[in-house]
Amino acid sequence: MKFVAPLSAFVLLFSCSVEKPEPRVWQSMEQSLQTQLITIQDGDTLELPEGNFMFTRSLVLDGKNSVVIRGKGMDKTVLSFKNQAEGAEGLRISNGNNIVLEDFSVEDAKGDNVKVSEVRGITFRRIRSVWSEGPRTENGAYALYPVLCKQVMIEECIAAGSSDAGIYVGQSDSVIIRNNKAYWNVAGIESENSRWVEIYDNEAYDNTGGILIFDLPGLTQYGHSTKVYRNHVHNNNHKNFAAKGNIVASIPPGTGFMILATNTLELTENKIMDNKTVGVGVISYELVAALNEGEVEQTSNIGGVQTLDNNFKKDTLYNPFPYRIKIYNNEYSNSHWFPALGHDIGKLFAMKSFMHPPDVVYDGISDPERPDRQICVTEKEGVLVMVLDAAHDFEGLTKDATALACKDQ
Amino acid sequence: MKRIIILLLPVFFSCAEKKQEIIVLPEEQVQVDLSAIGKAKLSEYGFFTGDMKMLTPAEGVVPYTLNAPLFSDYAFKKRFVKIPKDKTVAYHADDVFNFPEGTILIKNFYYPADFNKPEENIRLLETRLLINEAGTWKALPYTWNDEQTEAYLDVAGKTIPVSWKQDDGQIRQVNYSVPNMNQCKGCHLRGDKVTPIGPVARQLNGDYPFAEVKQNQLLYWQSHGLLDGLPDIGQVSRLASYEDQCVQVNERARAWLEINCAHCHRADGPAKNSGLHLLASETNPSRLGIGKAPIAAGKGSGGLSFGIVPGKPDQSILQFRIESTHPGIMMPELGRSVIHDEGVALVRQWITEMK
Repeated sequence: MKFVAPLSAFVLLFSCSVEKPEPRVWQSMEQSLQTQLITIQDGDTLELPEGNFMFTRSLVLDGKNSVVIRGKGMDKTVLSFKNQAEGAEGLRISNGNNIVLEDFSVEDAKGDNVKVSEVRGITFRRIRSVWSEGPRTENGAYALYPVLCKQVMIEECIAAGSSDAGIYVGQSDSVIIRNNKAYWNVAGIESENSRWVEIYDNEAYDNTGGILIFDLPGLTQYGHSTKVYRNHVHNNNHKNFAAKGNIVASIPPGTGFMILATNTLELTENKIMDNKTVGVGVISYELVAALNEGEVEQTSNIGGVQTLDNNFKKDTLYNPFPYRIKIYNNEYSNSHWFPALGHDIGKLFAMKSFMHPPDVVYDGISDPERPDRQICVTEKEGVLVMVLDAAHDFEGLTKDATALACKDQ
Repeated sequence: MKRIIILLLPVFFSCAEKKQEIIVLPEEQVQVDLSAIGKAKLSEYGFFTGDMKMLTPAEGVVPYTLNAPLFSDYAFKKRFVKIPKDKTVAYHADDVFNFPEGTILIKNFYYPADFNKPEENIRLLETRLLINEAGTWKALPYTWNDEQTEAYLDVAGKTIPVSWKQDDGQIRQVNYSVPNMNQCKGCHLRGDKVTPIGPVARQLNGDYPFAEVKQNQLLYWQSHGLLDGLPDIGQVSRLASYEDQCVQVNERARAWLEINCAHCHRADGPAKNSGLHLLASETNPSRLGIGKAPIAAGKGSGGLSFGIVPGKPDQSILQFRIESTHPGIMMPELGRSVIHDEGVALVRQWITEMK
């Protein structure tokens, strides 16, 4: 018994020194950096020093032209907003022209990590934007978020942990998204209501959905003209941790690509692997509205709420149906036998295509205004293409790939 | 051996709970030359006579108030406008007046120690200026010193702890946030131009107790040669005071939403990407958020599906966000750290009664 006391003391010491992480020491440059962001002259470069820096408020740059903000590398210059008490984003940039952000990290903002609005010419280069505790609903919505911008370049960035989309481009024009990595987000990369967009050579994995191209109603502009190629979109099977109400909350885990209500899109030469529910989904906003319907009915029996359904139909400029979509020459593989069974769509796939989740799915809801929608899928033999006939309780569901074969491909 | 195991157990648990500690080193203070941005001291403008903290306007500096003011953590505000001599403001029926070059709008933020004695023991925190220079507005924040003798240009913003006794006798405290200069713009931007928010006809159309007489502000401005083009006062629209219990809930709630939200949530405001427009004049139910799905709310949706569900404030994202103090969720995004209890109760009643 004499040995017990010293032995337990030893264990205590040992186990604690293993369990307790080293305190992380952060420097502060909040006042001086924000002041520099205000006083910086057009054409100047702001060099961020090497080090880990903690902030309690948003950093804001506004109305500048031809300004570069450059760190010493995404592993060397880290801006953390873990202690943030004020401001809806970490770094906020608005207005102005030709802003370049490169070679630093942004972490753990209470809202979005980096939001850029109404800038003409914005480059994100080698920016790592993450929530350091991994995927959680409490994380901010977007890691890299240009909105209402023109001439957007996002390259060699890392986006992780977003409770909505890692790289999210909204209501913007002339966009290139290339050579990025997106993981642990609900949506890896999302282009929404944007025009003239190229998304290529990116890797999206371990998200709920890999790459999404969406068009939503009621906004400042509608999207078209997107090219999506040579992306590696794999293992996007993460559980959906988006807050309900957001459109991405309805993405089933195991989604590779989702194309919603947009037009004039080419999807080719992508490697689409091990996304357990569906490789590529092409759907109309009608289907989204229908999926929301149960809920709307519940709320509408008190006070006759205007349904989501009615709202998008009122927007005469909005077309809820995808058209002119070319999907060809992509590489598919899926080692999963079952789609995400917790989701209605997953259940449907499991039922209609037992132990063989589809590679390409089109909802098949017809547009009275445009009988020929030009949804063209030209893939190798063996690629499972499914047309749902979602408007008629899936009665006309077909797995005949020729249903979407266009003649003039 | 048993004792060892028993001893081990609590050790294991206590260690596993420990999170990584965050240590932040203090920032080195650096003096920056801000002379290119604006005057270093508020006193240099000469807005006030006598003891500056009494905010007694000098000649040519006119006090004004708004029918429905923005909520700023219960701070009191005293507003003044300085219009250059012999120049006039051009009336506009539903937008911000056209102020002549050289106009300065002066907004002072303060807390009385006891809200029941609003003129006593006043602590001034900041004075924000909007200066019309060559046709563009410049926003400058000045923060007051502890001695209350001077306010200094402070572009990077700061946080000031404040406490006071509320009307009901409760002691309240907040970490009052002075915005940085760019955050000023965040609210004042229209398109890519900084614009005043308050001085529109419907906000100024109300009485003010001027030194000589209590009078409608617009008529006062007109009779003092400050305002051109004012139509018959009966034709000027008027925003409700959201505190006025005699006015219908709908008008009061819409006034509250306009001043607290619509500087961004309007067709030409920074939040136009959301598709939610909250000016009191907005008539499209979907634009107001009724049955509207969120666009880029993230966790700001609160797990709810629509901006407003009539009759159901607790299923309405709008209600959820104005009742939050989380920086990534709350609306408005800036300018408050506590909930405006009276305001959110009003909006709650409005949604509850909505058909």
